[in-house]
Amino acid sequence: MNRKQAISTIVKEVGNNPIISANGFISRDLYEICDRNQNFYMIGSMGLASSIGLGVALKNPKIKVFVFDGDGNILMNLGSLTTIGSLQPKNLIHIIFDNNSHESTGGQPTHSNKIKLSRIGKSVNYKVFNIVSKKELISNFKKIINHKGPVMIVVKVNKSKKVSKRVEIEPKKIVERFTNSLKIHSS
Amino acid sequence: MKEKIQRDIFDYFSKNGIENFIGVPDSTMKYFIEQGLEQKKILITTKEEEAIGIGAGFCISKSPTIIFMQNAGFGNSISTITSLIQLYEIPLIFLIGWRGYKKNDAPEHLGFGKIQNQLLKILDIPFKIMSENEWKSICDWSLHNLHKNNSCALIIKREHE
Repeated sequence: MNRKQAISTIVKEVGNNPIISANGFISRDLYEICDRNQNFYMIGSMGLASSIGLGVALKNPKIKVFVFDGDGNILMNLGSLTTIGSLQPKNLIHIIFDNNSHESTGGQPTHSNKIKLSRIGKSVNYKVFNIVSKKELISNFKKIINHKGPVMIVVKVNKSKKVSKRVEIEPKKIVERFTNSLKIHSS
Repeated sequence: MKEKIQRDIFDYFSKNGIENFIGVPDSTMKYFIEQGLEQKKILITTKEEEAIGIGAGFCISKSPTIIFMQNAGFGNSISTITSLIQLYEIPLIFLIGWRGYKKNDAPEHLGFGKIQNQLLKILDIPFKIMSENEWKSICDWSLHNLHKNNSCALIIKREHE
């Protein structure tokens, strides 16, 4: 399964809940597959999707908040895992698409295959799930996201040859849409 | 800055709509942070960029936020400020400890202490230096900026002899 297939499968189960997506191909894939007001495309500030997601989750405890992260992204902000693990937001679902590479910058390797992200997640008090195939993703995802968070799902994906288009919405507009969607969702 | 004024500044912000105080501590604002910790209103992060990320999440959930840090941490945060805070026009108040303000600070602070205000200017972040006599009007100035959807910075000097 490549990342785009994984994202397509997951967004079908996310409903109206907010998604904070990491910069690079993850945001681009999400934008191409399913642009919606509840998507916060983080186009810069690599590493911080999980931190932004934590902020949104803490302020909207009744809404399930999804973070679409990458291995390169989370390795850049491992401290975020310790903060999330300490604060235990019950409504945070942290999905890490692990392709063992910085695909957006040309496919250079990360160290994710030499360490165990899932073990790090466990040791900082996440509930951790590993997904390695589309079949597993389809049959388990619904059940997994019903667990009390913080939940970490490490989804192993392959690199793909196709590149999605850039996010074309003005950043200010992304915020406006997203903030309004939270208001509607929580009212 | 005197202990009582630091504690008063915290309470003033807290009473005037600031709901979140996040960051990495600095000795210049020890009592400000202590006041917040006593009220369980402080979130300490692993680094400054993380604090800004969480603050952005709060802010896009319509919850006003102050990010506190040492100036070294402000240096760490520059690209996050340009590519997240300024790009998305997310308003935050930065409270920055001015280490290396005087030459008697530890040597590791002197380099950044010298360029801090120039960097704020280059980044186009309006800032004011906290003073014991006018702290209230300076806090009001920052709150006014926040309400107008603008980020700004407040500087606390390290003044020990």
